Amino acid sequence: MSGTLATRSWVRWTTFAARQILGIVLIVAGAIKLPWPEASVQAVRAYQLLPFDITRPVGYALPVIEVVIGLLLVLGLFTRVAAWLGALSMVAFIIGISWVWAHGISIDCGCFGGGGASENGIAQYPWEIARDVGLLACGVWAGLFPRSPLALDNWLFALDASAPADDEELEESRA
Amino acid sequence: MTQSRREALRRQQEAQARAKRLQRIILVAAIVLGLVVIGVVGTIVVSQLNKGGTAAGTNSSVPVNATSDASGIVVNPGTFKDGVPKVEVFLDYQCPVCKQFETQFGTTLDDMATKGEIQLIYRTMTFLDNNLRNDSSLKAGIAAACADNAGAYSAYHNAIFAGQPTNEGTGYTTQQLRVDFAGTAGITGDKLTGFQQCYDSRTTQSFVEGTNEKAAADGVNSTPTIMVNGTKLDNNTIFTQGTDAFRQTVMTTKGNG
Repeated sequence: MSGTLATRSWVRWTTFAARQILGIVLIVAGAIKLPWPEASVQAVRAYQLLPFDITRPVGYALPVIEVVIGLLLVLGLFTRVAAWLGALSMVAFIIGISWVWAHGISIDCGCFGGGGASENGIAQYPWEIARDVGLLACGVWAGLFPRSPLALDNWLFALDASAPADDEELEESRA
Repeated sequence: MTQSRREALRRQQEAQARAKRLQRIILVAAIVLGLVVIGVVGTIVVSQLNKGGTAAGTNSSVPVNATSDASGIVVNPGTFKDGVPKVEVFLDYQCPVCKQFETQFGTTLDDMATKGEIQLIYRTMTFLDNNLRNDSSLKAGIAAACADNAGAYSAYHNAIFAGQPTNEGTGYTTQQLRVDFAGTAGITGDKLTGFQQCYDSRTTQSFVEGTNEKAAADGVNSTPTIMVNGTKLDNNTIFTQGTDAFRQTVMTTKGNG
């Protein structure tokens, strides 16, 4: 499908940049929330979107998931899967913010810690959605063209672990 | 060596390489999943430590005037008449606007409660602990619930707000909660001893965690929130009202069921 395009140098370096951007943002967002899961639960509840009973597990799991996906992207490990999961999380965040916007609920999105009711939350929604769309684009790109330089995948998926796979071998192994 | 033999050997080597590669992938995937599990478990442990531990499970109890569903404490048990409005105040002891509400309408509500014109219920929340990164809302909530057991809930509640620090986030000291506010609320002698034992052993902690959880489950995520018979009052409206107008609002708000 994207065989020829995916082997081009600029495509691979774009993937490298995309996974670094999405990865670092996810790590930072997750790490800030990680020590305070109850605050994360509160932020999830403020959306009034999920059934109350699952807000606690979601609030606890979300920061961990963000950090793990972020680390995988930065390291270039399981890039394809991590990129699609990252993209999926952005879709979820965009849906969440659109939901509160549509319902006129003014909250702090809780994207980087914080969360809960907020006086001037609504004014932030357009920019927050724009930011998440940009990050979604990074995830989709890296999901479509997962091969990139300086990635642990080059070692992980190589047929001969001592010598990183060259293009043809990788291409074959991913077919 | 024939062509086909060489071919077969090459295939075999390839198959071995693929098997090794698969092993490697599975191993790394397992490590990643392991890290996720450790992360989630670690998060739960850290959050427990941040809360300052939990109640000594053996002597955990609900305060005497708790509502039947343990969602709050009735301020005026036995004095309200049948059919009067049920007024629920959702509060957090670290919330400055709650203090403002208390200053503006606390006396009015207390008066209405004493006369039995309303059933007054305080539903304590503790979510500001998460925002302010301390545990003062929970500790104040525990202390207030212990004060209910000493028969001085309303007075102690008022004492906390009167002593609320000017800067949000400073929190309450143990001295304030154990001694000062109890003194202001008129808790003395054996009752003081009982109150302090209750506070020290965090007897009412799980009750207070429950009132926060039940308020959140009822869709309340900011304080102060005032509900009359289940209908939420608009804060922007009531904060501009005088006490008479507020009293009127409380008495005339229709319930939602």
